[in-house]
Amino acid sequence: MAEFLVFLFNFILGVLEEGFAYAIMALGVYITYKILDFPDLSVDGTFPLGGAVAVVLIIAGVNPVLTLFISFLAGALAGTIAGLIHVKLKVRDLFSGIIMMTALYSINLRIAGKSNVAIFSKDTIFENSFLEKYIPDSLKPYITVILLFIIILILKLILDFYLNTKSGYLLRAIGDNPTLVTSLAVDKGKIKIIGLALANGFVALSGAIYCQKSGFFEISMGTGTMTIGLASVIIGTNLFRKVSFIKSTTAVIIGSLLYKLCVSIAISLGMPASDLKLITAILFLGILVISNDRKRKVKSNA
Amino acid sequence: MINLRRWNARSEDNMKKSISLTIVLVLTLSLFAGCSKKEDGKVTIGIGQFAEHGSLDNCRKGFLAGLEEEGYIENENLNILYENAQADGGTSTQIATNFAAKKVDLIAAIATPMAQSAYGVSKKANIPVIFTAVTDPVLAELAKEDGTPNGNITGTSDKLPVEQQLEMIRSILPDAKKIGILYSTSEINSTSAIKEYKAKAADYGFEIIEGGISTTADIPLAADNLLGKVDCLTNLTDNTVVSSLPTILDKANKKGIPVFGSEIEQVKIGCLAAMGLDYYELGIQTGKMAAKILKGESKASEMNFEIIKEAKFYGNTAVAKNLGITLPDNMVDSAAQMFDTIAQ
Repeated sequence: MAEFLVFLFNFILGVLEEGFAYAIMALGVYITYKILDFPDLSVDGTFPLGGAVAVVLIIAGVNPVLTLFISFLAGALAGTIAGLIHVKLKVRDLFSGIIMMTALYSINLRIAGKSNVAIFSKDTIFENSFLEKYIPDSLKPYITVILLFIIILILKLILDFYLNTKSGYLLRAIGDNPTLVTSLAVDKGKIKIIGLALANGFVALSGAIYCQKSGFFEISMGTGTMTIGLASVIIGTNLFRKVSFIKSTTAVIIGSLLYKLCVSIAISLGMPASDLKLITAILFLGILVISNDRKRKVKSNA
Repeated sequence: MINLRRWNARSEDNMKKSISLTIVLVLTLSLFAGCSKKEDGKVTIGIGQFAEHGSLDNCRKGFLAGLEEEGYIENENLNILYENAQADGGTSTQIATNFAAKKVDLIAAIATPMAQSAYGVSKKANIPVIFTAVTDPVLAELAKEDGTPNGNITGTSDKLPVEQQLEMIRSILPDAKKIGILYSTSEINSTSAIKEYKAKAADYGFEIIEGGISTTADIPLAADNLLGKVDCLTNLTDNTVVSSLPTILDKANKKGIPVFGSEIEQVKIGCLAAMGLDYYELGIQTGKMAAKILKGESKASEMNFEIIKEAKFYGNTAVAKNLGITLPDNMVDSAAQMFDTIAQ
């Protein structure tokens, strides 16, 4: 039993690490998918973009914390371009994302220089001389999860705060009622671009943190990011729809943890990874079915 | 009417509740099932394999054979947890994290991304890692420049014997000038192999024409394009290209252009010849290294990574006949294995 508890503890620790790292990306997807109502596929490209920028800068000797800000900006720039393509060139939302994602594959390779860059021997936010010196040995196994928790908490608070500013209100209005925004004499396109920039900034930041956590960048790391993000957002927001004191941002973070938990359990059961996606799909469906009734009831009562 | 609707809603609600309850129950129970109990006297190895294809599978089989030679027999005194990441980077990290949670005695990682994931995780968990099929451990930061380990990790490399391959192509095709190579831009093992091919091709009077692809879907076009420009093709250990080898072979055969492989499996399915590695042998070598660690004879942090120095010749006489090429006798005589059929 004691052995099982140790296993359970380590197991959950692993899930928390993975879940928190991806939760930042999920917050980005939450902005585009839930708030803006914009299916932004550029996520599959901006996640590795953040990673590529971070590893290259770390190798060049830039402070690992600073690389996070630069990665965020790089992601925001990519998001801005996706937004400009959509708004100014009037390309459909789905296509502008696909175009951005495709372009980013080559751009990421250019930035990183090669398809796989390792930073095991370099300082990262999780492993550096400062932590080495000031963190007691007993805390060391948990430092990654603690740092990730702090980061996600800060980001969540910032996002919550932003969504309550005037600009944030407009952002929320655009997904629900675009005509309202227009009637307020505000440029709809501009708000969309801001939302995309913010969202992709979060996604790139997530990629940067993920690379620093795992110690290497890999060009294929972005594949499927969008699915993970969407699953997290939908699991989180649907499960906690009724619980009013939990903010959507918190729900998304919990959704990301739950998603990673499910995947982790599936792997832990020795399920072949080829079946993994099927399990995910079934879970995904299950949660959608469970949460669907509320929507239907609202409609039937209306 | 209203009552009926309410009743419907209630029964639907109950159904939803039971569905969610079942999911929660299954998940909780499965977690218990997922916990492997450590039985006394047995060692547990977690094998994480990055993708599913012949070479890597052979690696794993060889690894188990190598362990067996050293007295570690699966299900007797050895527990094996095997996971395949299906070429997904995120999954490979989670596989490694799970192994660490289960406190396995050793993680065996097959192919570069898996090795890096395992290394990232094991650094904290202090579990030794042994890797195999990593083309360039130094570039992947799994080993230092001088070949010594970069932590509690060691293993074997599947670096291609580029010069021996070029020499072989020269003696089979004395007049060939241009060699085409298809590779995916996303695979680091391929990019470093391409670099070496380009650096050494001139020594054997060849010019390398490369065809970069990013997904499997690019292969037919890239192959057509490349086949129009070259005298022969040669393969790397590129996972994407190797997986689509039948398509490439089909196109090449129609034009009568020979394709050279990089290991035994490729020759088996229709490449003309290869100076290649035997991944099974590589696995055995890795298994023996793992046994040393398990027995406590040596630590992963004290063993340099190893490479197979002697590449062996593999040829396919059926392919040669179709192309109207005769393989030189001295090569056939010294071949590790010759095939006279083309496996499907």
